[in-house]
Amino acid sequence: MFENIKAFFKGFFRSFKARSTEYIEFEERELENVFALVLMGSFVGVPSPPTTLVMRLMPHMIREIYVMQRRAGEMDDIFGEIAAMFEIT
Amino acid sequence: MKEYLFPQEGFRVLFFIGKGGVGKTTTSAAVSVALARKGYKTLIVSIDPAHNLGDVFEVKLEDKPKQITENLYAMELDMEKLIKNYLKHLEENLKHMYRYLTVINLEKYFEVLSFSPGIEEYATLEAIREILQEGNRWDIIIFDTPPTGLTLRVLALPEIALIWTKKLIEIRKKILEKRRAIENIQGERKFVIEGEKYKLPSREEEDPVMRELRSYEGEIKLVRETITNSKRTSVIAVMNPEMLPLYETERAHEALRKFKIPFNLVVINKIIELEEDIPRIRVKIEAQKKVLREIEGIFRGIDIVMVPMFEEEPRGIEWLEKIGGLIVGD
Repeated sequence: MFENIKAFFKGFFRSFKARSTEYIEFEERELENVFALVLMGSFVGVPSPPTTLVMRLMPHMIREIYVMQRRAGEMDDIFGEIAAMFEIT
Repeated sequence: MKEYLFPQEGFRVLFFIGKGGVGKTTTSAAVSVALARKGYKTLIVSIDPAHNLGDVFEVKLEDKPKQITENLYAMELDMEKLIKNYLKHLEENLKHMYRYLTVINLEKYFEVLSFSPGIEEYATLEAIREILQEGNRWDIIIFDTPPTGLTLRVLALPEIALIWTKKLIEIRKKILEKRRAIENIQGERKFVIEGEKYKLPSREEEDPVMRELRSYEGEIKLVRETITNSKRTSVIAVMNPEMLPLYETERAHEALRKFKIPFNLVVINKIIELEEDIPRIRVKIEAQKKVLREIEGIFRGIDIVMVPMFEEEPRGIEWLEKIGGLIVGD
């Protein structure tokens, strides 16, 4: 009984925490996407920063490139993501 | 006494610029011999793809300093080879890291990259940077550079690279700020990709991207501070007594002033001195006279040294020392 109540509260707070950072996470992903785009823009024709710098940063950019790719994949449903965030159904 | 040729604050860097074929390599080699004779430990580096520094010294040069005479060392950098090796090494690195990246076709990208605009300038800048970072091994470092256009672009690069780095650092700072905010609530975050877990860095000192940005910024600043300091760097233009090289040198003079890079000396090479009048080359002699008349007015406050055309091609140490003595003076 006591365990159940504890579990309930734990779950309650976890979801509360997740909700509270949702917007910041969205912003963070956007920035990561922009960072990767600025850096690797030459792939798609954006003016490019020093090539040597891009080369040096590339090995550390796993997450950013992953985010950028996912972002590119979701391009057609960006409103879907925003709608989900604001619970517009 | 041309103090801009000698060390004042640490080592001295001399860049020889000019059109292709005006005698940059011979002139820079001559100056290097003369300075080494004066007892300064001198390194001369050719970053010109044409590579004839070895021919002038009559020795085979490599990409490591090789002793020529007492106090004088020379090396030739093969830019194309450097770029190729650099990209290959990087490709191996990245292939291993980005196995899961199928969308970005890295292989194609690298194929194109070696011909991409700017890569040659950046590679040249990297080469210059590496030599400057170990500059304290020498008293004087002399660069025999590729033809004017490329060299000027290379000298302008640090400024541009710093603007980019500054912008990227700003964005990165914002990202890390957001990550810290999320971490405060969620605790440490992991990023899972292909079954591998990575901790998401949120502080500047643990973020490899920020570290790389900062160290790049530091390196570029070192180059910029060295080449804009008149106590450390001098640019010497070599030209022939003709109108076209004169215009080009004038343009270079303007550009260097814009980048705040000290420009101190013009060497006019291959001046024809005749004892009797030869009608068939009168036109050329007239043009030469005109250039020599105009040049004093154009380059005010800049030293001008005239080197005559010799009856044979100046090669070997003795010849070089003779010409070097003319330029360096006593």
